[in-house]
Amino acid sequence: MAGVKSQDDRSYEMGLHTEQLAGRTQQIFFRPEEEERFLYPWAPDVDYNRRTEIDADTMTSTEVNAKLRALMNEGYGSIVVRNPRGKHSLGVGILNRLNLIFEGSLGYFAVGLIDGPNVRIHGRVGWSCGENMMAGTILIEKNAGSTFGAAMRGGDLVCRGSVGSRTGIDMKGGTIIVGGDTGAFSGFMMQRGRMVVCGNAGKNLGDSMYDGTIYVGGEIRDLGVDAVPAELTDLDRAWLTRKLTQYELLPTRGVDHFTKIVAGKQLWNYDNLEPTEKKLIL
Amino acid sequence: MKEPYEYPFDPPSEDSVAMRDGAVEGRVAGSPDAYDAGESARWSPKAIADVHAMAQLGRYQLRGYNTFNRRMPGFDDLVFVPATMTRLPLEGYRESCETGTVLGDRPGLVSEPLRLDIPIYVASMSFGALSANAKAALGYGASKVGSMTCTGEGGMLEDEREASTTLVYQMTPSRYMLDLEHLRMADAIELAVGQGAKPGTGGVLLGMKVSERVARMRSLPVGVDQRSTVRHPDFLGADDLQVKIEELREATGYRVPVFLKMGATRPRYDVAIAAKAGADVIVLDGAEGGTGASPEILLDHTGIPTVSAIRAAREALDECGMSGEVSLVASGGIRSGTDAAKCLALGADAVMIGTAALMALGCNAPRHLKDYEALGTSPGRCHHCHTGLCPVGVTTQEPHLEARLDVPGAAERVARFLTAMTMEITLLAKACGKSSVHNLEVEDLRALSLEASAFTGVRLAGIDRPFTW
Repeated sequence: MAGVKSQDDRSYEMGLHTEQLAGRTQQIFFRPEEEERFLYPWAPDVDYNRRTEIDADTMTSTEVNAKLRALMNEGYGSIVVRNPRGKHSLGVGILNRLNLIFEGSLGYFAVGLIDGPNVRIHGRVGWSCGENMMAGTILIEKNAGSTFGAAMRGGDLVCRGSVGSRTGIDMKGGTIIVGGDTGAFSGFMMQRGRMVVCGNAGKNLGDSMYDGTIYVGGEIRDLGVDAVPAELTDLDRAWLTRKLTQYELLPTRGVDHFTKIVAGKQLWNYDNLEPTEKKLIL
Repeated sequence: MKEPYEYPFDPPSEDSVAMRDGAVEGRVAGSPDAYDAGESARWSPKAIADVHAMAQLGRYQLRGYNTFNRRMPGFDDLVFVPATMTRLPLEGYRESCETGTVLGDRPGLVSEPLRLDIPIYVASMSFGALSANAKAALGYGASKVGSMTCTGEGGMLEDEREASTTLVYQMTPSRYMLDLEHLRMADAIELAVGQGAKPGTGGVLLGMKVSERVARMRSLPVGVDQRSTVRHPDFLGADDLQVKIEELREATGYRVPVFLKMGATRPRYDVAIAAKAGADVIVLDGAEGGTGASPEILLDHTGIPTVSAIRAAREALDECGMSGEVSLVASGGIRSGTDAAKCLALGADAVMIGTAALMALGCNAPRHLKDYEALGTSPGRCHHCHTGLCPVGVTTQEPHLEARLDVPGAAERVARFLTAMTMEITLLAKACGKSSVHNLEVEDLRALSLEASAFTGVRLAGIDRPFTW
């Protein structure tokens, strides 16, 4: 392949300056005018010390969500939902700070479309938990279904157990931490953010990822198109140790055995690739 | 043994047989002009050029605009048959004709349905594909005439929210910049599962258009060729979609309607499934629909024509008893009020215009001819949206090109164009004796070709029966 330019050479020629992009993934830019807007102006003022409980046993999803909103408007900052019984779409669309605790398992789209609350789920969740979340934390004590954290943009999404396939698909920021294994096509078309899998990863890990980082503690069945291993740096180790300690998932042998996967950047501008490299994009 | 025949004169010379006496030098006698014109049925100059291009590039070709496939039956194959003896026409220049349109009117599920003054709105085109000026101008123009716009793939622009009194927030499979505050500010949510120009394929935005602002909004590195996913990340089939729509209703408090946009492929089944899954408004985009960038083969060889899709969709809604409850919006290749009126007559509740609205902004206008030349094209045939070098500032992210689009002037042109389209629709409706544009019906149409009749079920002109087998 002598004479064939590397992707980096080409991106320099095009003025893309990839070195400036490295590390930008995790940077958060605060603009002065946004700095004071940590809460939406219309968001209810809640007090974390005011705690209440709901028994969702005989309620529909709509009733539970309406009740959550009503309680937030009354100023309750800590809400426990008992007997969620696997209902779909519970706790979605909360754009406010809140401590939300589910004493049981949730169905599809559990606490999706959220911006701010801290959620703890003492049970399992179905598909697309935490999809499109922008900020806050979600901690799941047991296993989660597929498309865990789909298209999420920020916040921490943690599952102590194993998750299904397509974890972190279209991920645009934030952190996903999986205590167990993850299925096929995890990190598919990942754009930014970090994903940590303490167990094994299924096939096509990180397929077509644009950017972002995936850390895997166990075996990787195979890597997807344009996902490449990278060297684990001291910064990575420090970050992994801090994050995994925070959620009590740090393995006893430390974090040195983690494999780091990043984008090979071959798909960034494929129209400029040499014809022989085209097989990538089929 | 039969004796070979012999002429009673000397055998002719080859020159004499070939009529070389006085013939054009180098041309074989009697060769038809078709040879010179390259009129091979299989190997037209275009087919040969395509092979050469593929042989050089090693990939499919990309372009913007819409289909170049001439064999699709379209709006021009249908005519209106106005009121004569069987019906009474309304005074076309005087009497009023209702144009108000309500979308997503479902008590219990949607507390704030969309109320538009006209049955036309501006289609979802992303900031990224379009310049910010173009998005703002479309918004102001639509607002002036009581219409609405839709955000498209790249997230909501603040200019756009300010410009559009009614704005649909689109959630595409890629979910670029899905901001929950924007979701709350939207007047409707649209789940896009496909588009007419390239059904079954995700969006394309080439690196030239992924400027710093676009990249920041879409969480992408600057200058990458963005190829969006086509499958939604959080649902796969119709049963998941049903739960997803419920989730969106929960998240927005059952306030706004949920649109579902799809490319026209199997509308009879797709529309029935979408209606059953809970969509309030189904947007059906025919194969003539435009796009900012797409593999050329998908533009020319995928999807079915708008006229045929609308009929199938309306019949599907009738069959499952959802007509009147679920609204149907048609789009794809609508150029004028007559096209829009034909869509309404075929069964659409409203129509959506994309390319036509861009034309109103100034797309393909004869200005800055040198820039058209540099792209290898000329006004009237430019289809270089994918390059991001739009000479009139509509589909570009280059600041100096974008500045060529004057927002107030462009907004006024959009407003006037939408007004003119609405007048065309009401003129036709009144000629057909309708006091509301929504009363236009299939019976008001006749087909001028067998194909159009067979595809749409519209009666053939003259014989007054639909063409069937």
